[in-house]
Order: sequence, then C-alpha cells, then structure tokens
Amino acid sequence: MKSLYIILSLLLFSTVVSHAQEKFLTKQGSVSFFSSAPVEDIKADNNQVLSIINTSNGTIAIAILMKSFMFEKSLMQEHFNENYVESDKYPKATFKGEVLNFDTLNQIEQEVTITGNITIHGVTKTLKTLAKISKTTDVISIQGSFTVKVADFNIEIPSLVVNNIAETIEVRFALDHKPYKK
Amino acid sequence: MIGKTRIILINSVLIVVLIIVYIAVTLLNKPHINISEKVPNHSIEATQVLQDFQSNETQANSKYLDQILQVTGTISDLDMTNEKGVISLSADDSFGSILCHLDAKEITKTKTLKLGQSITIKGMCTGYLMDVILVKCVIVN
Repeated sequence: MKSLYIILSLLLFSTVVSHAQEKFLTKQGSVSFFSSAPVEDIKADNNQVLSIINTSNGTIAIAILMKSFMFEKSLMQEHFNENYVESDKYPKATFKGEVLNFDTLNQIEQEVTITGNITIHGVTKTLKTLAKISKTTDVISIQGSFTVKVADFNIEIPSLVVNNIAETIEVRFALDHKPYKK
Repeated sequence: MIGKTRIILINSVLIVVLIIVYIAVTLLNKPHINISEKVPNHSIEATQVLQDFQSNETQANSKYLDQILQVTGTISDLDMTNEKGVISLSADDSFGSILCHLDAKEITKTKTLKLGQSITIKGMCTGYLMDVILVKCVIVN
C-alpha cells in the first residue's frame, strides 16, 4: 500500500513538472522615463508594455509601443512622437536579453544583472543594468531603472529646446509577469 | 494730438502682445483629445482590425495609428487591477486580441460587464504587439 502511494505521488509530481510553466508574460508592464533639464522636468508613462520571460533559460524579451507613452502635456507627446523618436517610422522599442543567474532566484527580492540589446529609434545598443527580481510560481516581478543618452540613439534635439530636454534620460520599469496560459 | 496717437499706438501694441501671449499659452497647454466627444475614424469589427494587423502590420500601422477606432467584439477577458481597467476583445478562433485600456472615468461602468458579452468600445490605437492596443477607451455600448 505504501509503495502504491509513493508511485502515485511520483506520477503526480512528474505530471506537475511536465506541465510547469515555461513562459511568464505581462501585457501591462509599466515603463516611465524622466528628463530633468534646467527649464522643465518631463515625465511620460507607458502601461502597455509587453514582456516575456522564458523560465527555462532566463531570457527576456520586451516590446514597447512608442505611441503608448502618455505625457502631461499633449504638445510634448506630439513633439516626442513626431520630431524625436519618429514613431510613425519606428513604432516600437525593444529589448532582448538575459537575466543572469536566473536559476538562483526565489520569492525573496534579489538584485541581479540583466544584459542584452535595446533598440530605440532604429538604433541598437547593448545594455547592462541591475534589477530587483522576485520569483514565485505565480508571479515574476522585475523592477529597476537605467539611463540612456538621447544622442546614442540618433535622436536630435534642436538647440532651441536644449534647455528643456535632458541629454540623459532615466528609464524606470516595473514588470509583473504571470504564467502564460494558452 | 501727438499724445493721443501715442496712447493708441501703445494700446494696440499691448493688445497685440496680449493676443500673442494668449495664443502661445493655449498652444502650449493644448488639451489631450477627448475620445468620448470625437467621431471615430473607423467603425469596425474586432476580427477585422486583428486580421489587418496580422496580415500586414506596416500597412495597418499607417491605416490605424493615432486614429480613433470604434471596435465591436466579444469580451474575452476583464482585468481591473491597480485601478486600471483593461478589456480584451477577441476574435472567435484566432490568436491575439484587442486590448482596450480604459480611461480612468470609465472604471465604474465595468462592474456590470461579463465575459462573452458583446461590446462596442471607442479608443485611440497605438499599435500592435501581441495584441492590438487601444488607449483612453470609453465604452460606447
């Protein structure tokens, strides 16, 4: 009888393992950026960020629609889309990378390194940043921030507004991934 | 006589300056578009929008981006977390959906909504990731 229980529980365990979620995803991640310049501070939020983590190897893919960034003033939003990031031509920003030491993560928040390639305005750069990550069977949450230089992505800022827009922009992200069910 | 013309001149200059300042301020503080008051650029079925994006994203981008869409479809998912309402409209069999991010004022209306219900939503299209994304959505019907 005892051995039957063992066999049954082993069977149950193996089915659980084989059905373990390989992909965690969010369609409502948030990414915000901040520009702090002498004349004004500019902030924009995007709450429609798509992010997918493959838990078998710790790779992460993020896609962002530039037009989903919401600004306080509609004129800023218009200038951002039309003059700076040219979102008709380059509608998306993407990040493809890897969470280092993904296997060691657990429910306790830890600071780990994420490396990969970020593409904005059609220009791809490598990015290495620290992020706080916690992982349970229900949610993988990642948050952190990094800075990007506007000039690195071929975004030109006219001299007229050089005091309004910072050369270095701070980007903050908060992504709560849920198991992906098809 | 000279004094009078000078006063008129100064006054008119002042008026012109005030008008310019007024125009500049209104332009700088131009309000965000109010979706509920706008007539949609496209009134369309959820299935059709999805199909357009899935078959040719570039073409669909030039057709729908920044446009106000009035989309009719079936509610496949409701998510009301963090005070933000998101309604997914799906086409019957295909992969992907229309993700409608509701305007903050619309949240109270979502309590009566049910899965599987047919609904018409108006919102601004910002693009396509895994799903077509509409922001600032209002519930029409």
